[in-house]
Amino acid sequence: MASQEKISVYNLADLKNTSDDAIPNYLNSLRFRQSHRLTDVRLTLGFSALALAAATFAWDCKFGFDSTKHLTAVAVALYTLLNGALALWISRVERGTVYVGTSPSGDEVRISTSVEKNVPVYHVTIEVTSKGGKKETIKIDRSLAEWFDETGRFVAAPFQAMFARGVAVIGSADPKRARVEEEGDQKEAESAGAAAYTPEMLDVLAKATGVGSASDAEATGAAKKGGKRRKA
Amino acid sequence: MFSSLQNPRQAAAQLLNFGLILSTAFMMWKGLSVVTDSPSPIVVVLSGSMEPAFQRGDLLLLWNRNLFEETNVGEVVVYNVKGKDIPIVHRIVRKFGSGPDAKLLTKGDNNAADDTELYARGQDYLTRKDIVGSVVAYMPFVGYVTIMLSEHPWLKTVMLGIMGLVVVLQRE
Repeated sequence: MASQEKISVYNLADLKNTSDDAIPNYLNSLRFRQSHRLTDVRLTLGFSALALAAATFAWDCKFGFDSTKHLTAVAVALYTLLNGALALWISRVERGTVYVGTSPSGDEVRISTSVEKNVPVYHVTIEVTSKGGKKETIKIDRSLAEWFDETGRFVAAPFQAMFARGVAVIGSADPKRARVEEEGDQKEAESAGAAAYTPEMLDVLAKATGVGSASDAEATGAAKKGGKRRKA
Repeated sequence: MFSSLQNPRQAAAQLLNFGLILSTAFMMWKGLSVVTDSPSPIVVVLSGSMEPAFQRGDLLLLWNRNLFEETNVGEVVVYNVKGKDIPIVHRIVRKFGSGPDAKLLTKGDNNAADDTELYARGQDYLTRKDIVGSVVAYMPFVGYVTIMLSEHPWLKTVMLGIMGLVVVLQRE
């Protein structure tokens, strides 16, 4: 799981991929039922194109060009169609979707994410289709720095709280996170902009880095940045 | 780096991305083959026998269809000789007869003698079907990379190593 690794905080693709991977982890842990239909269609299209190319390669090697050129022409046309369909599927249907699933209460959630080049802001679009068929679209734009500490470790709580608080369906499935976020907000106001880490999280962080203890982790707002520099 | 291997769909998607790069390159090549009707529509000049028209390392684009007229004297063609797998780029200097059975003789612009020496044992002329295509366009020097690679095989190993490393280290 990518979210357990440290990544370079200067690599936007790494930041996005790690965040994307954390979404299914989080929602599936809340007993959402993930649907893989989009991915499966993409894989089917792609691998049938690949199989066609492999077959073309095989008959070209075995029988030479001249005796198979009509077949090859058909294969090239078909391959173009399949690849075009794949490109359309990715750009028009998937549109950056990283998660589709059904909540325990039966509402369908579809989450797509994007980042702009060299801008560390995570754009999340959440489409909720309730059981009655009512559609709702929620857009969240948040800085990636909110859930990556300065050593490049992914911190789940603020990330999950963003969803729990921003989307009613997720919030009702995870009332604890939705509440923690509100407490975090108060703390945030007190400590003037420090990240909303809970004492438990700082304990975990301290153990992972092997420096500091629970007591000095709880101490001050400055300590709440986490990471190796905390002792200084 | 190898994290995605734990998720079969993500691993499959990554494999697919890599495979599609290879297969698309191959199918573009085959598409060009079909359009030009030539089994090898792009060749690299390996010798100086056509100087000053073509130098070693020039990239040639071939066309193998006779839509309006037959292949004629004066055209630069690429042909294969039976039993040799290296295509040769030379100019047609004589033509006897017409149609697909016309007898063709070729010669390199920079060579003193015609190509009868180069043909297979007992072969005195070429026919249309020996020809892979006529040269319609060229790009100077671009093909020199392939000459370097075939003359210094260790370069291939180095290049494959670098490419493999890049694929393994990058996800996008």
